Amino acid sequence: MDKEKLWQAVLAVLEIQISKPNFLTWFKNSRLTDKTEEGEAIIALANNFAKEWVENKYHKTILEALNSQDNSIRRVKYTVLSAPLDQKSTETKKPQPSQPGFEEFKIDPESNLHPKYTFKSYIVGSSNELAYAAAMAVIKDVGKKYNPLFIYGGTGLGKTHLLQSIGNEIKNTYKNHLKVKYVPSEKFVNDIISSIRNKRMDDMKERYRTVDVLIVDDIQFIAGKEASEMEFFNTFNALYENDKQIILSSDRPPQATPVLEERLRSRFSGGMIADINYPDYEMRLAIIRMKLQEKNASLPNDIVDLIASKIQRNVRELEGVLNKIVFYQEVKDMEPTIKMIEEIINKTIKQSFKNITPNQIVQIVANFFELSEKDITEHSRRKEVVEPRQISMFLLKDLLGMSYSDIGHKLGKRDHTTVIHACEKISKNLPVNQNLNNKVVLIKEIINNK
Amino acid sequence: MELVVLKSNLKEGLGYLGKIGSENLTLPILKNFLIEANDGKLKFSATNLEMAISGFIPAKITKEGSLTVPLNIVSSIINNLQNERIDLEVKGNNLIIKTENYQAKIQGIKKEEFPIIPKLENKDEFIEIDSQSIKNALLQVMIAAQISGRPELNGVLFDFQIGILKLAATDSFRLAEKTITDSKFKTNIEKKFKTIIPIKTIQEIIRILPDKNNEKVKIFFDSNQVLFKTEKFELISRVINGEFPDYQAIIPNKLSTEININKEELLNALKLTSSFSDRTNEIKIIVKEGAKNMEIFSSSPTLGENQYLIPAKITGEPLEIIFNWRYLIEGVKNMEFDNIFIGLNGSGKPSIVKPNNNQNYFYILMPIKGE
Repeated sequence: MDKEKLWQAVLAVLEIQISKPNFLTWFKNSRLTDKTEEGEAIIALANNFAKEWVENKYHKTILEALNSQDNSIRRVKYTVLSAPLDQKSTETKKPQPSQPGFEEFKIDPESNLHPKYTFKSYIVGSSNELAYAAAMAVIKDVGKKYNPLFIYGGTGLGKTHLLQSIGNEIKNTYKNHLKVKYVPSEKFVNDIISSIRNKRMDDMKERYRTVDVLIVDDIQFIAGKEASEMEFFNTFNALYENDKQIILSSDRPPQATPVLEERLRSRFSGGMIADINYPDYEMRLAIIRMKLQEKNASLPNDIVDLIASKIQRNVRELEGVLNKIVFYQEVKDMEPTIKMIEEIINKTIKQSFKNITPNQIVQIVANFFELSEKDITEHSRRKEVVEPRQISMFLLKDLLGMSYSDIGHKLGKRDHTTVIHACEKISKNLPVNQNLNNKVVLIKEIINNK
Repeated sequence: MELVVLKSNLKEGLGYLGKIGSENLTLPILKNFLIEANDGKLKFSATNLEMAISGFIPAKITKEGSLTVPLNIVSSIINNLQNERIDLEVKGNNLIIKTENYQAKIQGIKKEEFPIIPKLENKDEFIEIDSQSIKNALLQVMIAAQISGRPELNGVLFDFQIGILKLAATDSFRLAEKTITDSKFKTNIEKKFKTIIPIKTIQEIIRILPDKNNEKVKIFFDSNQVLFKTEKFELISRVINGEFPDYQAIIPNKLSTEININKEELLNALKLTSSFSDRTNEIKIIVKEGAKNMEIFSSSPTLGENQYLIPAKITGEPLEIIFNWRYLIEGVKNMEFDNIFIGLNGSGKPSIVKPNNNQNYFYILMPIKGE
């Protein structure tokens, strides 16, 4: 007989024997929490008063009732429920709607998860279905199936959303049985620094090693920080050995993360690696519709189409543009025109690359491919320099709108036709060559963060 | 039970109980309070099953005993009695109150029916503090607490660290934190801990703590209860299970505008200008570039508008920011110093208000969203 049924049977007996107010007062929210091998039943009651009362007044009745249902039970122990009580939410003062609260308080302090991230608002399409399927498998079989789960993809594609949703879903599915902890790797590093400073390394170890699911976002930031890598390595091993689930995210696959220690790299690759790619057109449409619904706004179909076709890379940018448009709608109280939308989009996209010089772009590209700037400008047709050179040309054109001959002059006094060829080649290959696309987007992000 | 007690003592004892037992409808006996006479002391107890309060008063006891009787009847009798000397006697299930020219017989219920007041597992480790200090500290943080749908916010956080005790409360629109250093308290607790004590318990403890400096209160904690204990009363309460939000994240660590201002003048300005802020409770604080004063402005489309200039020492960027003046006044009113520091961080971020040059108290407030 399972615990719940057993306790229901006992309550039924008690209900007959004692008065209704007494029964309601003392046995409300009571539960049989555990039944040990040695025949001990543990009963949790709503509060300390109930515990004292039941223990003193009804112990005999309860023991008899339990024993008649399940004769292996010989002893009963009483505790107080540790779960928060349902409180009557009698709000004394209603704050006005315009008074905003502290945003940070919505985050669950124990798990560090923000409840706004759920799978309900997560849109699945061809670009992220693998990651999504892996996430689902992890939720079903925590710690057993894919461990660690490593998710990578560019910024603004929903890594954090996916990670936090997994955390929230695990929390909801397993109630309080599994302890989930979400940390951005920056916080992990800060924790290490402060615990070293306060000489409280044990606290820190305990905090991270007693969880059942550890989610670390943007793990690439840990790379190159030796103490953090070391501590993370140890935490990782401790959790992994105990079949605890580990979920990581990064903006690139483990193999492509420079300066990451080899033993960490191999561990990251040991479970399941799933990537999140750029959403396709249909998915972008779905995302826009979803966001509009969230904001309680609506836009004509041709405008939604336009936004979806113009902004291809970054969902966060998409949301930014949407916010602006919705804001216009609300404040200026007029329907946005196609022309206006185009202006907003152009501003959002262009804005980010305003303050960059051609030299900086070349430098960033060179750094990215671990070349020197000279390699890019020199006249060599070695394979490893040709692509970076062509990407540089493409970016100079795409981001700064320089003329072909200027670009040619800048990159080793080349002919403008060479530049035209390079730009055409890259833009033709971008949609079909995923690898190239990734590189270009990563470089753009680096430029963007400058 | 047979005893003689002075009216003033009896009143004091009933005063400790307040009205805590009166709300519960499911269990009628909770309207009663428990009288126990033994060891030369008279003990009164009442409970609402979330907390229990006991008061101790001196009495001349000739025969020990106990009974529970309805609190409201006994209170109204005692309040209206003229005589100073009162005889109490229990006969069967009745309490007899007798003076020279008055006698009342009140039907009671046996002690055995009354809830058993729980005990704390921890009997040795406690914090001992001046009644006045803890009362003031609780008053200062309670302004930011109100009952809401989130259980973990419906209380005051007691965050004990080695050498300091921090109290904090928040309703997610504002937050108050008070730090009590160990010059003010004594303790034999060696491990740090956090616990959340329900708002109602705090209201009761504020009500019964005397405003006297030489009176000490001992506070005991265990995993799910807290006990406040003096010579004269004991209050035991459940604590809230849950984790208080990590409020360190909202304490602004950089401030773009800093204002030093006189407390009385600020209070006066807020009260005055608020007359135009109708139902929305909004007032606007305006800091102009290089200004030597802070402007408080409020307007109403139907009434008109007004502004008040307060001399202030201002550094940082100019800005306009809107607050709920009630929230602002509540924060400022409780500060023990004449000079107030206001730190602002733009019109949409949490602002901090604290006594100038004092690290022991601060109040964080969210501005109202402007246009």
